[in-house]
Amino acid sequence: MHPRIKPLWFVLPAALYLGLWIYYPIARNFYLSFLTAPTPRSRDYTFVGLQNYRQLLEDDVFLLALLHNVVWVLLSIAIPVVIGLILAVLLVERRSRLAYASIYFIPATVASIIAAIVWRWIYNPNFGTLNQALEFIGLKWLTRHWLGDESLALVSVNMIGSWGYFGFCTLLFLAGLQNINPDLHDAAKIDGANAFQRFFHVTLPLLRNTLIFIVVYTIIGSMKFFDLIYVTTGGGPNESSQVVGVYMYDLFLRRGEINYAATMSGVLTVAILLLTVIVIRNLIRQAKV
Amino acid sequence: MPARSHDPHRRPRRNGPLAALRRRVLSGAAVQSLAAHAVLLFFVVLSLFPIYLMLNASLKSHGELYRSTIALPSDPKWGNFYLIFWEREYYRAFINSIIFAVSTTTLALILSILAGYAFAVYRFLGKELLFVLVLIGIMSSEISVLIPIYNLLQDMGLLNTHVGLILPQTALGLSFGIFLITTFFKDIPRELIDAAVCDGCKDLQLLRHVMIPLGMPAIKALALIEFLWAWNSFFFPLVIATQQDLMPLSVSIIDFMGRFTFNYELVATTCVIMLVPIVVLYLFTQASFRRGITFGALK
Repeated sequence: MHPRIKPLWFVLPAALYLGLWIYYPIARNFYLSFLTAPTPRSRDYTFVGLQNYRQLLEDDVFLLALLHNVVWVLLSIAIPVVIGLILAVLLVERRSRLAYASIYFIPATVASIIAAIVWRWIYNPNFGTLNQALEFIGLKWLTRHWLGDESLALVSVNMIGSWGYFGFCTLLFLAGLQNINPDLHDAAKIDGANAFQRFFHVTLPLLRNTLIFIVVYTIIGSMKFFDLIYVTTGGGPNESSQVVGVYMYDLFLRRGEINYAATMSGVLTVAILLLTVIVIRNLIRQAKV
Repeated sequence: MPARSHDPHRRPRRNGPLAALRRRVLSGAAVQSLAAHAVLLFFVVLSLFPIYLMLNASLKSHGELYRSTIALPSDPKWGNFYLIFWEREYYRAFINSIIFAVSTTTLALILSILAGYAFAVYRFLGKELLFVLVLIGIMSSEISVLIPIYNLLQDMGLLNTHVGLILPQTALGLSFGIFLITTFFKDIPRELIDAAVCDGCKDLQLLRHVMIPLGMPAIKALALIEFLWAWNSFFFPLVIATQQDLMPLSVSIIDFMGRFTFNYELVATTCVIMLVPIVVLYLFTQASFRRGITFGALK
């Protein structure tokens, strides 16, 4: 067989697999998005053009959910990513750095549904550890119904996500920092740069690739998360923590609005793809294929 | 800052530990290091406390848990585990999880190694395009494919079967797997491959005798990550396995919680059964895990 064709046999199984379980579904979502069915769950489709897209733009719950996804991205960058960076900087010159990093990573191995269950108890207004601890140190006025308060629910759930994520960030930043040549730091020191200047003018620029990777990875993760909200608030109270994933699940499985849910799913897929084009390009260069 | 303590002309230089401490205090280094330690330890406590809370709750009686969630159990109730595992038949969910995670991992490994091998070693028609398509798969998620996959499984009669759980879950981790293996195989020195080819190694022999042994670190890391993902996955199993005898642990816990919301100690027990194997596995294989996770971001 021709040598340029033969290796295809090795790729073929994976390619067909991805074709059937990833690409065909993504394409079919778009196909479904131009159709509608007379009753929920019916597959008696008729063509409706862009009607589903129009409905999407006028759906306040969807727009709110999308906004919450964006807020989630921002919170996830502001909290666990920044904490991870700080911890990595504190750790990089210590001999015990791997021991610390290993412990910080433990929450990342905990299933998000388990994290959600434990934190629901910690947040519980009656017997939860958080309110008890606040009361104990004399901050009773700070006690809240963390998951039941409309203005707090999304942030409270995001803290659970952050708990499972900061260790991952620490690990990546630590690896990134260890790749930096220490001579550069010494040179900056000799030139009279203080610790902050060294961090912002030497370390951070050299961490650029790690930073880009983490930010994009955070965006991808933040657009598609589902488990935490599903188990903690289910999108409530009063849609105040609704996100696209949970809303779509609800439309599809509870209400059977297949075509509308498929439209939503397709739009989210395109959004994620556009946001991550840069990373795909980086990965290609990295793999040198 | 206080040059005094560093200046040998002002006072004789002392090198004892006390003097060192004194210099550090004067320079503010001790305060800084203390603050750094406090921060590092705070996050250690934060990482472990929720897990402690859960382990603790799983060993208490209902009454004792209501008196205090934080205090250690006065008389650990190992019976909770017996009750959940045997009488409530959680061993079924446990076995389902094992079947699900092991099959997903194996399938993903086979497909990733074959594809990664071709991408790393050979040139072939449409290679660049195929690789881009693989990478786009990394961005895909349950949400992007849920509806068509549900319908597909329905038409194939695979809803509520092990196969129906395993096939789509494998696809979600496959792109990452191919990427990881390709990048790692690319780093294997070309001379080694050429030497093996000269010795008469053909495609599959080369893979078996050179690439797989040398690529073991990446393969191990990938196996662990895929296993972790499958074990912890929730969205697909929730949708696909609605019959109790097929549920893996994640869905089983939610099902149990729906029926016994207020038996926190028993809910905790179900969680611990799911949590402990994975944390133990992680603790024993940290280095591999770390390698796999940091690999994509760096290089």
